[in-house]
Amino acid sequence: MQLIVNPADDLPLYRQIMRQITEALAGGRLKRGDKLPSHRDLAEQLVIAPLTVKKAYDELELLGFIETQRGRGTFVCDKLPRVKLADQREQMEMSARKLLSQAYLAGLGFDDVIKILKDAESELTHGRSAGNRRPIKEEL
Amino acid sequence: MNGVLEFNNIVRSYKKNLPVLNGVTFSVNAGEVVGLLGRNGAGKTTLIRIAMGMLYPDGGSVQVFGLSPTAKPVEVKKRIGFVAEDQVLPGGSTIGELIAFHRRIFPSWDEQMEGRILDRFSLAYTSKIRRLSKGQARQVALLCAVCHRPELLILDEPAAGLDPAARREFLEVSIQLLNREGTTILFSSHYMNDVERIGGRVVLLDEGRVRLDSDLDRLREDFCVAMVPKASAPSAAALRAVPGCVGARLVFEDWHVVFQAAPDAAEAQLKKSLGTNGINCVRVPLEEMFVELVGGKREKEA
Repeated sequence: MQLIVNPADDLPLYRQIMRQITEALAGGRLKRGDKLPSHRDLAEQLVIAPLTVKKAYDELELLGFIETQRGRGTFVCDKLPRVKLADQREQMEMSARKLLSQAYLAGLGFDDVIKILKDAESELTHGRSAGNRRPIKEEL
Repeated sequence: MNGVLEFNNIVRSYKKNLPVLNGVTFSVNAGEVVGLLGRNGAGKTTLIRIAMGMLYPDGGSVQVFGLSPTAKPVEVKKRIGFVAEDQVLPGGSTIGELIAFHRRIFPSWDEQMEGRILDRFSLAYTSKIRRLSKGQARQVALLCAVCHRPELLILDEPAAGLDPAARREFLEVSIQLLNREGTTILFSSHYMNDVERIGGRVVLLDEGRVRLDSDLDRLREDFCVAMVPKASAPSAAALRAVPGCVGARLVFEDWHVVFQAAPDAAEAQLKKSLGTNGINCVRVPLEEMFVELVGGKREKEA
């Protein structure tokens, strides 16, 4: 799994890591029982503070996505937290309306929106340019 | 006591009645990485020199590992690594000679670490310091500052003038240090992206005081900036009276108002206080926050 962080993004770094890991889980790129790199290794790889990665891992652990086994490392949980569809449905519908209105205001048609969704789908499952949708404007 | 470095009400002037630092208080705990921010002339270097025992404060006190850096200079300096903004290295020596000198001063010198860093930066013992590029000279300064395995590393604009690749290498070594040694770090920098990468907390100096002292993630999540049309508010003072407001300045036809609150809460508060609708509050990266808090000349309080 390839993670990318960008300090100039709207989200704090630890949330960028959380989002990419949950997206990898949703898309099946990370599977139950998979081992994650240690927070120190990931910190060196991403060149960010180890505490930031640890915070992301801690939050994901609290949410029940990953678990740390003493002396063995950090793994994706065997049982992922079940999300109640009823709770989420309304939010998804809202996101869909938002997406549609955004597209229509930009002059796109329904087919274009379908294409956007398909691209997002392949990003989620194949990890192409995940987390890198924004142009990186880090170094001026 | 957990405070590795404690500034207590530090006051320091270079000219009479014109204090650069006017009551600075904060402490850095073991293992913390703190980014010291502020405009040029805000007193970052002065504060760092006071911590190093290179300057006496006019008022207040500083403690490093619970000791005064001026009363116990050797004990304190043994445990600190320091890279100054304008670090001068002896031009006539080679890297090897300089390292040999440090090895002799510091009994705790770690030759393995020395080898690793030389390797990482592709530096050779035989190179003359004078012939090094600016970036390489900084790398040598960092090497000399960390190989005695200090508990506290103080970096004064370590990356100033370095190209992006050299800055990144510098950060990589810092992160490895954090990982392997748990070193406490205080560093001043104008590169906000670097600060966000390795900092856990930021302290912003402005007009001689600590303007802001916050966890970086909290700064990202619990602060926002609102753009308010000029006509909607009579003055900066009126905006600053809005609960949660920590700064306001006029930029062309808009007030830029910084809130310590989530965007929707700030929006609701503005609506309640000013009666204006449709004001958009957004979270901003550190660089924008820096500009909003200390940029421009803010209108003086009425």
